[in-house]
Amino acid sequence: MLSIRDLHARIGARNILKGVNLEVRPGEVHAIMGPNGSGKSTLASVLAGRAGYEVTQGTVEYLGRDLLAMEPEERARAGVFLAFQYPVEIPGVNNAYLLKAALNAIRKQRGEPEVDAFDFLSLIRDKMKLMQMDESFLSRGVNEGFSGGEKKRNEILQMAVLEPKLALLDETDSGLDIDALRVVANGVNGLRAPDRAIVLVTHYQRLLDYIEPDVVHVLSDGRILRSGDKSLALELEKRGYDWVRQEAAVA
Amino acid sequence: MNAALAGESLASYGAAFESARAVAGATEAARSQAFARFAELGFPSARDEAWKYTSLRRLESRRFQAARRSCDALDSPDVAVLSPHRVVLVNGAVAERSGLPAGMRVRTLDEALRDGEPQSTLLRVPAGGGTERFAALNVALCADALVVDIDERAAPEQPLHLVLVSAGAEARMAHPRLLIRAARGSTARIILHHAGDDAAEQFVNSFVEVEVATEAKLHLYRLQAAGTRSFLIERIEATVGARASLLMHDAALDASLSRLDLNVRLAAPGATTELSGLFLADGARHLDAHVRVDHLAPDTTSLVDYRGIAAGRGRGVFNGKAVVHVDAQRSNARQTNRNLLLTPGAEIDSKPELEIYADDVKCSHGSTTGQLDAAALFYLRSRGLGEREARSALTRAFAGAVLSRMDLATYAAAVHAVLDERLTRLLDTPA
Repeated sequence: MLSIRDLHARIGARNILKGVNLEVRPGEVHAIMGPNGSGKSTLASVLAGRAGYEVTQGTVEYLGRDLLAMEPEERARAGVFLAFQYPVEIPGVNNAYLLKAALNAIRKQRGEPEVDAFDFLSLIRDKMKLMQMDESFLSRGVNEGFSGGEKKRNEILQMAVLEPKLALLDETDSGLDIDALRVVANGVNGLRAPDRAIVLVTHYQRLLDYIEPDVVHVLSDGRILRSGDKSLALELEKRGYDWVRQEAAVA
Repeated sequence: MNAALAGESLASYGAAFESARAVAGATEAARSQAFARFAELGFPSARDEAWKYTSLRRLESRRFQAARRSCDALDSPDVAVLSPHRVVLVNGAVAERSGLPAGMRVRTLDEALRDGEPQSTLLRVPAGGGTERFAALNVALCADALVVDIDERAAPEQPLHLVLVSAGAEARMAHPRLLIRAARGSTARIILHHAGDDAAEQFVNSFVEVEVATEAKLHLYRLQAAGTRSFLIERIEATVGARASLLMHDAALDASLSRLDLNVRLAAPGATTELSGLFLADGARHLDAHVRVDHLAPDTTSLVDYRGIAAGRGRGVFNGKAVVHVDAQRSNARQTNRNLLLTPGAEIDSKPELEIYADDVKCSHGSTTGQLDAAALFYLRSRGLGEREARSALTRAFAGAVLSRMDLATYAAAVHAVLDERLTRLLDTPA
């Protein structure tokens, strides 16, 4: 589904990604872990098409298409979803409008008719219940005045409504208390499906107690140094990141 | 310093004045005096602080025919009906007065003079300020003066829709003049609607005096939809009495060059004013709003929130000034101006000013000018919205903060219709 080969990217003159290789198949959950500054968020941003990053080398193929050649909205319509580390507050654009416009953009891409108001509301209500969100959120501005936890839940709500093929979760666990973490993890687990891939970017192992990954990668200084199963995450939790770096240096 | 009116310009306005004087009757002396004042002051120069960002060179170079006294229905473009009670002025002269609500009277200058209203009230020229010259020109040349009175404790259910039309194939000037008085304890809504067409350059020099008496409440909804080639200069001079309020909305949407001077005097304890405004300076429009609030008495409140959008070669100017005078203890003056530049060639000049002479007051002012938030744009696009749709949503959200406060449905709908059409066109054009 997603094939990243030798990806190099920089911000200004600073090289951040220095040759990332990653294969993600449908149905898989990947966790990308790494210390601060390792390039985790840059990777997620490059995949979603955020401006300000320059890809200097390498390719990213998504469902047989050149992902890097697509505009951010084309990626979204083709089924890529990024749950932001810092969801943006947009006063004056309400949540219901955004959800509906986003859903219709994706449906249009699939050749489906626009969702009607009744179906839309019943869909949203179900998903909001899942995310334990109050319906009053719908008429509020996007993320406006939301707490950190509410913003993260809103990201997962959008994801649940849009049903992406490839979900990228950028530090979705950061700033969450344990109850919110459970709600968010529930939402994500509810989306696990044979035709959907999920890539979790995280600093801590904690999230992986709730969302069990198939593959864990360690990203450090812009490269994936090691990949393994979920036991790798536990080892990282115990031993920190340094030993991976040291071993890589030796090898 | 001002350059006195001279040469061709003087000859042109002088000729207009001579024909106005011929039919001035009892008001001849007042009009002559006013014209002399205008000739003395002339047009403002670039050195005039009040006109620093708005040049009138283009206006000064144009020649306009005097407005006709009779009006021609053909001159009047279709204007949306925003209330069952409507008064239409075409080129400053009354063309229609229909079904006024109980408790509201509308008289012409002649009628008011016959009723014994003093000329000094009806044809006042407030001294000073950057627009005294235009107030004087207005008195010298006004075709009529409309006196709108809201009776004591009257509370008409429907608003009064005042339409000032300047249109037609010939470049004309009009000097509409209004005196609006809300008597003690009354509550009323008035829509002040400038309308026009794009056939020729029109010059509208409007003067509006507003008096809100003790415990009265006046809502004023201004809709500036003058012709796209027009020059519009308007001065609104308002005085608010004890425990009275003037609640004003402004939507400045059209004209080639428009300048609003809104001066509000909070003259007695407990007087309040709120102004919520929006301008859309796209194309080659130059839209200027000068808002000044004088707190002259204790316990007075002013809230000003004005937003501007500029695009293309458009230019916006906002000057907001609150003056808290020495006796105005416990006053509260808040002022915000937010501006959005949609394209690189557009420009907005914003100048908030505060002068405080009392010591126990709450005052704040702030001004920001920026572009659409790149992070918000990316967020929306990452959800599948096209760039155009994302820009549109963010631009509408910016205006929405002001629009959502428009508590008169017909007015809000009229503003929405213009904004929608213009923003759609604007956002379809690549930046």
